[in-house]
Amino acid sequence: MITADDKPLRYNEGGNVHMDFHGATDTTIEFIIKHYGIGVMDKIFARVGKEVYADIRRHLMAGNAGELVKHWRHFFDREGADYDIEIDDDRIVLTVRHCPAYHHVQKITGQVSDHFCDQTIKTNQALAEGGPFSIETEITGPGACRQIIAKRPARS
Amino acid sequence: MIPSDHFTRFYNEVFKFLESQGEAALQAYWLAISENQDRHTLDLFREKGLAGMRDYWEHIRIEENCDLDLELFEDRLELRMNACPSLGKVMDNDATAMDRYCDHCAGWIGPIMDKLGYHLVYDVIDRKKPQCFMQIFKDPEQALAAEKKAKLLMGWPGRAKN
Repeated sequence: MITADDKPLRYNEGGNVHMDFHGATDTTIEFIIKHYGIGVMDKIFARVGKEVYADIRRHLMAGNAGELVKHWRHFFDREGADYDIEIDDDRIVLTVRHCPAYHHVQKITGQVSDHFCDQTIKTNQALAEGGPFSIETEITGPGACRQIIAKRPARS
Repeated sequence: MIPSDHFTRFYNEVFKFLESQGEAALQAYWLAISENQDRHTLDLFREKGLAGMRDYWEHIRIEENCDLDLELFEDRLELRMNACPSLGKVMDNDATAMDRYCDHCAGWIGPIMDKLGYHLVYDVIDRKKPQCFMQIFKDPEQALAAEKKAKLLMGWPGRAKN
């Protein structure tokens, strides 16, 4: 499932982190759903998955989930998440015990959109659509989830 | 999680959708973002005035890794963005950039200044270059004079006349 390489991520930011952007994401989700409906929000996340993250998607389509794992590690480390990643032959499981995005929004606004985690669920679905892997996102609690990359069953 | 580092690329996708819905849709969104920003700015700006604004954008300079110069004068604050990471990331992007990406900055800052009685002059200079020049004045006449020197002056929702 993973072909290792030493190349940097397509987006490989360093330096400081501006966590308040997560508050703007929360505001955006609420705004778009209120004015245009959840279908439009889902389509915008799909564009993020397919176009913004075209390089990760290209790797997934080629049967290599390694770029997505590298992306998870880089950005969850940068934002101080509590997580781990288990990799075996058939699936990769990311377990997030403390999502920095969710908890930052909770801290600065006191409430998080019911659809906040759609950014993960829908973007993951778009990343995987039409490819050899599925990516399922299970919300396991407030600011906690499990994301599972699995090989799709071979067609007979 | 869309990383905070990638918010601006997400923002760009939102702008592209809203632009397809018309100018009023974009302006309504900038107002929503402006109201979101109230929690980070209003009390500080009311309490400390231009010095509070300098403190806010100094915090942004550090957290967002901006190359910018801030200069506080008795009558105004000047912010000169030399390398904007927000537009920079949107341009360094596998998705296409929205042509008017830069307009959102005045779009959220302007309504805050109107609420507080300050006068914003936002010169984007060139939407294709990650640089701009923002001035915030106490005196509307000074703002009017500064507007005349701008290369690409930005407006915002409900803009009060300087």
